[in-house]
Amino acid sequence: MAPPVSTPKSASPSQPSGKSEVTDLKLQLRHLAGSRAPGADDAKRDLFKRVISCMTVGIDVSPAFSEMVMCSATSDVVLKKMCYLYVGNYARCNPDLALLTINFLQKDCHDQDPTIRGLALRSLCSLRVQNLVEYLVAPLAAGLKDHSSYVRTVAAIGVLKLYHISATMCHDSDFPAALKALMLSDPDAQVVANCLYSLLEIWTQDAANSDEAAREIEALYGKSIIYYLLNRIKDFSEWAQCLVLDLVSKYIPSDNNEIFDMMNLLEDRLQHANGAVVLATIKVFLHLTMSMTDVHQQVYERIKAPLLTLVGAGSPEQSYAVLCHLHLLVMRAPMLFSSDYKHFYCQFSDPSYVKKLKLEMLTAIANESNTYEIVTELCEYAGNVDVPIAQESIRAVGKIALQQYDVNAIVDRLLQFLEMEKDYVTAETLVLVKDLLRKYPQWSHDCIAVVGNISSNSIQEPKAKAALIWMLGEYSQDMMDAPYVLESLVENWEEEHSPEVRLHLLTAVMKCFFKRAPETQKALGAALAAGLADNNQDVHDRALFYYRLLQYDVAVAERVVNPPKQAVSVFADTQSSEIKDRIFDEFNSLSVVYQKPSYLFTDKEHRGPFEFSEDLSNLAIGGDSGDDVIHSAQRYEENDKDLLLSTSDKEENGGPTHNGSSTYSAPSDVNSSTSLVSSSTTQPAAFAIDDLLGLGVLDTPVLPPPPALSLNAKPVLDPGTFQKKWGQLTVSSSQESTLSIQGVASLTAPQSLIKHMQNNSIQCIASGGQPPNYKFFFFAQKEGSSSFFLVECIVNTASAKAQIKIKADDASASDAFASLFQSALSNFGSS
Amino acid sequence: MPVAASAIYFLNLRGDVLINRLYRDDVGGNMVDAFRTHIMQTKEMGTCPVRQIGGCSFLYMRISNVYIVIVVSSNANAASSFKFVVEAVALFKSYFGGNFDEDAIRNNFVLIYELLDEIMDFGYPQNLSPEILKLYITQEGIRSPFSSKASEKPVPNATLQVTGAVGWRREGLHYKKNEVFLDIVESVNLLMSSKGSVLRCDVTGKILMKCFLSGMPDLKLGLNDKIGLEKESQLKARPTRSGKTIELDDVTFHQCVNLTRFNSEKTVSFVPPDGEFELMKYRITEGVNLPFRVLPTIKELGRTRLEVNVNVKSSYGAKMFALGVVVKVPVPKQTAKTSFQVTTGKAKYNASIDCLVWKIRKFPGQTEATMNAEVELISTMGEKKAVTRPPIQMEFQVPMFTASGLRVRFLKVWEKSGYNTVEWVRYITKAGSYEIRC
Repeated sequence: MAPPVSTPKSASPSQPSGKSEVTDLKLQLRHLAGSRAPGADDAKRDLFKRVISCMTVGIDVSPAFSEMVMCSATSDVVLKKMCYLYVGNYARCNPDLALLTINFLQKDCHDQDPTIRGLALRSLCSLRVQNLVEYLVAPLAAGLKDHSSYVRTVAAIGVLKLYHISATMCHDSDFPAALKALMLSDPDAQVVANCLYSLLEIWTQDAANSDEAAREIEALYGKSIIYYLLNRIKDFSEWAQCLVLDLVSKYIPSDNNEIFDMMNLLEDRLQHANGAVVLATIKVFLHLTMSMTDVHQQVYERIKAPLLTLVGAGSPEQSYAVLCHLHLLVMRAPMLFSSDYKHFYCQFSDPSYVKKLKLEMLTAIANESNTYEIVTELCEYAGNVDVPIAQESIRAVGKIALQQYDVNAIVDRLLQFLEMEKDYVTAETLVLVKDLLRKYPQWSHDCIAVVGNISSNSIQEPKAKAALIWMLGEYSQDMMDAPYVLESLVENWEEEHSPEVRLHLLTAVMKCFFKRAPETQKALGAALAAGLADNNQDVHDRALFYYRLLQYDVAVAERVVNPPKQAVSVFADTQSSEIKDRIFDEFNSLSVVYQKPSYLFTDKEHRGPFEFSEDLSNLAIGGDSGDDVIHSAQRYEENDKDLLLSTSDKEENGGPTHNGSSTYSAPSDVNSSTSLVSSSTTQPAAFAIDDLLGLGVLDTPVLPPPPALSLNAKPVLDPGTFQKKWGQLTVSSSQESTLSIQGVASLTAPQSLIKHMQNNSIQCIASGGQPPNYKFFFFAQKEGSSSFFLVECIVNTASAKAQIKIKADDASASDAFASLFQSALSNFGSS
Repeated sequence: MPVAASAIYFLNLRGDVLINRLYRDDVGGNMVDAFRTHIMQTKEMGTCPVRQIGGCSFLYMRISNVYIVIVVSSNANAASSFKFVVEAVALFKSYFGGNFDEDAIRNNFVLIYELLDEIMDFGYPQNLSPEILKLYITQEGIRSPFSSKASEKPVPNATLQVTGAVGWRREGLHYKKNEVFLDIVESVNLLMSSKGSVLRCDVTGKILMKCFLSGMPDLKLGLNDKIGLEKESQLKARPTRSGKTIELDDVTFHQCVNLTRFNSEKTVSFVPPDGEFELMKYRITEGVNLPFRVLPTIKELGRTRLEVNVNVKSSYGAKMFALGVVVKVPVPKQTAKTSFQVTTGKAKYNASIDCLVWKIRKFPGQTEATMNAEVELISTMGEKKAVTRPPIQMEFQVPMFTASGLRVRFLKVWEKSGYNTVEWVRYITKAGSYEIRC
């Protein structure tokens, strides 16, 4: 129903024409200001409405401020409200004009009508003008004692507004104490709730600097206040109930009886019509029973039905918010949901963000009894018009296969996908078949038969192509034309844009060469030549590495590139359990939706570095980081073969002159930390192999090895000497380093880092600290010399930063050591 | 700790701000621009209703042609934010009559400002109950069709809330004729495989009430659900009369229902708010009577022709009938020509949704209807195999039928003045997402 339009002049808020409109309004307002004519109020209402409509569409009507104030001397509530709205909007940019309004706002705070008192008080507090703060105190104090509960609710939040403008003023007037008293005594539940909102915010912010505030916060979570609120919970509005329940979820009951009492009291909240209340209750239940495993499980059973109802009810956005929580629970206890799999079937009309979550849940709850149905259902989605969902569901089928014992049927289905001849289906399936083969090599026969028929030309997706090439290399003995397929791929080297594919191609050709040397020889030569000329650093380095390896000893090369493989039994989980627990602690918040703990996205100082370090860790993981496979098979082996961490001078490192034939600088990319072996053993070059590979042109000159810093694996230094040296030496290098996200997650105790550093030949002599700050003293010794490196390292897990101070006996090697140390540190947690 | 909303925006589809309310200063004023450039103008739109941009989280939903965006600066509660938006929109609708869209907002902006002021203060949700808000809202556009005495003079609400128990009902209401309307509305969700087996099926139902009752009446509702009946048979020590009992998977109630009494005595008793409200919601997965069975057969005749045959059988009582039955059969995009034969109703091809749409105005129970259609396709290159087709979708309404079998056994009204009331009970079953794969 549109607001009735009384005069044709006050037309609908169509776009007014700006300046002339404002002057026009000003004139009319001035005209009406003093008028006491009978129709004046109606005329004013229309005018005010026009002013506000201008304000809404973004026209600056602040020039009419004084006229508006003049007109506001009225007893008409409607006019007052519009005027307050106007004042609230413009007061901040015109503090001087805002002073004009103080007078009538203060007067209205003493009006007879509680509605007007409340309104005036709210508007007064919402002015947010620093120099008007002094006028707030008296009306607020009166408001808190007002006999109308409406005014008190407004005043309780008003205190919080005051706090945000001037915290000292708020404390000087002793408002927190007044709020607390009000909270514990007011008969009106909304007043209590608003006091609680304000107090929580005020004291939480103060708690960092004031012990008293910290004590008060603690008291809020204490028994007496929690019980007081719980006993009144039914008086509260649904939103206030959420607040109370959130508070309760942080309460720690003294014994089990208390827990059961609380749960009995709150059980009917699970039947509340408001989903937010239900979720808040669920949080309380889950947190209360954390220590009682069997009850905790019963809670899961109990909350299942309400959660499933919430998912089905309401808008897609609402069900998404609930599904995220259900997703979290399903991931924690998949078995408990295994019989409810039908609820997670996707509806055709579900938005894709809902479908994606449902697919993940279906994957998680698949077990022996329901796999058949779930996989059948997932196969339906594979032909879905929504391509990302189709891909996602194929991935889900693959994941289920990796979880299950009986994969026979699933492998058949996957192979059927390949026959669908849809590019994205084929691409997705190939990646999965590759992973499956790594876990179940016994299926190779069936898979290879089908995979062999796929033309490598039809696949564009780099990941899929890489997977196909991997299989060609790995199973080249079973695939008749593997060498020729590889050869044609090598011929098209230039057209292959993805470095990942080129890397895989190199390795595959190598593998194939060891199995079917005569057929592959030509391809290998071409691949290595192309690889050495490649622009991509990684590709170039790998080609060079293979080349040198082959030069050195073909048998060793085979051991390195193509060792007997063990089936992968478990694929790495992407999230550490510590992070999952943190998310669970923050149930019923955005953390669950984003699937990361809140400090990662709320804390301003952490946001930047973390996004960055996520990138870093992706780099370190390599091309395969997209799925749950941490390392592709080949890469993994190479990392294992990291016999030495080679370091070179910084200048050389940064130098772009890598043409592969004349100079050779060791690849010591700290970020990717996949430094290759560059030992002096490569020097006695076996030139013979050059001819074998048809690489005679590339006559590699013998190079001196870069000054590699290697560390004594088992240095000895007693604490006394350490202290003495630490005192004597000056700091030769002081740096700040960023830890990877996995690193932070792994650093639950200092021991984990100590062990990791030990593997890098860096020993710990002392450590200590409490989360989030840890302090370590490390030392290391240069191989074959007596010179020591001493390190002080302070790690802050909250910011993922590490402060490193290095002192060295031999200051010239300290840079090399520093980069070695950093690379070891940034590597932490990712392997 | 609970986190307050920093701002709320109402945008039209182009991204123009219709109305905004900044509750806090902790987010910048350019938040709308961020939303526009990073979400609305990218493919992100529609991929996820919660997004984070530069430290602020945007929770947004689209309602008709309006985007409602809540901006928060820290770890807020997503479920409650969305619920708040939905509730707020329902409230707006109750004020300006049914529709919530761009025009309605433009016509009622002063009212919306006023409501936004009352329902949220400094980002914390306050009271959204229309009954109580009536006391504070001054703008026209208030519709009070249920109460003759609506908001003529603000009643000091202190008395209301101090009495505590019934914040949702005003005292001193009076009607000449005391009437209660009760509607059981169920929607059936079905997912059936092409072979005719039920993959997934459930019913979500709600009981809607409209009360025009004087004074402070106490109502008691009895249903033929399992919990209620079992309790009763225990109390009266006799077996239940009607054979069929319904097992409700999950029930939620309006805040007026006394949940303690529901849990102890298993009866739904309540003091209703005045006017229209949703008394309870429930969900049922077992023993659902599907009102329609659909048997599709789709044959591909060569590369350019399809033969579609759809047979629909109604399984509710012969005396009942369904209204507004629509069957939508998806066909490929390159459909060129269609011809139909139907036993009842009308069928045509709708190119904008790529569906054959078959409409039957009235569908009696225990009957069946068939549609035969021939579809000619434009021959295309490539694409050897057809994609799995989207499912057949169905719409219908069956009055006086509940898919769950739920029935009202009694509805008692008790008021101290002892007046007589007239009770009206209706049932209706609608299609939720009724999908049959083909």
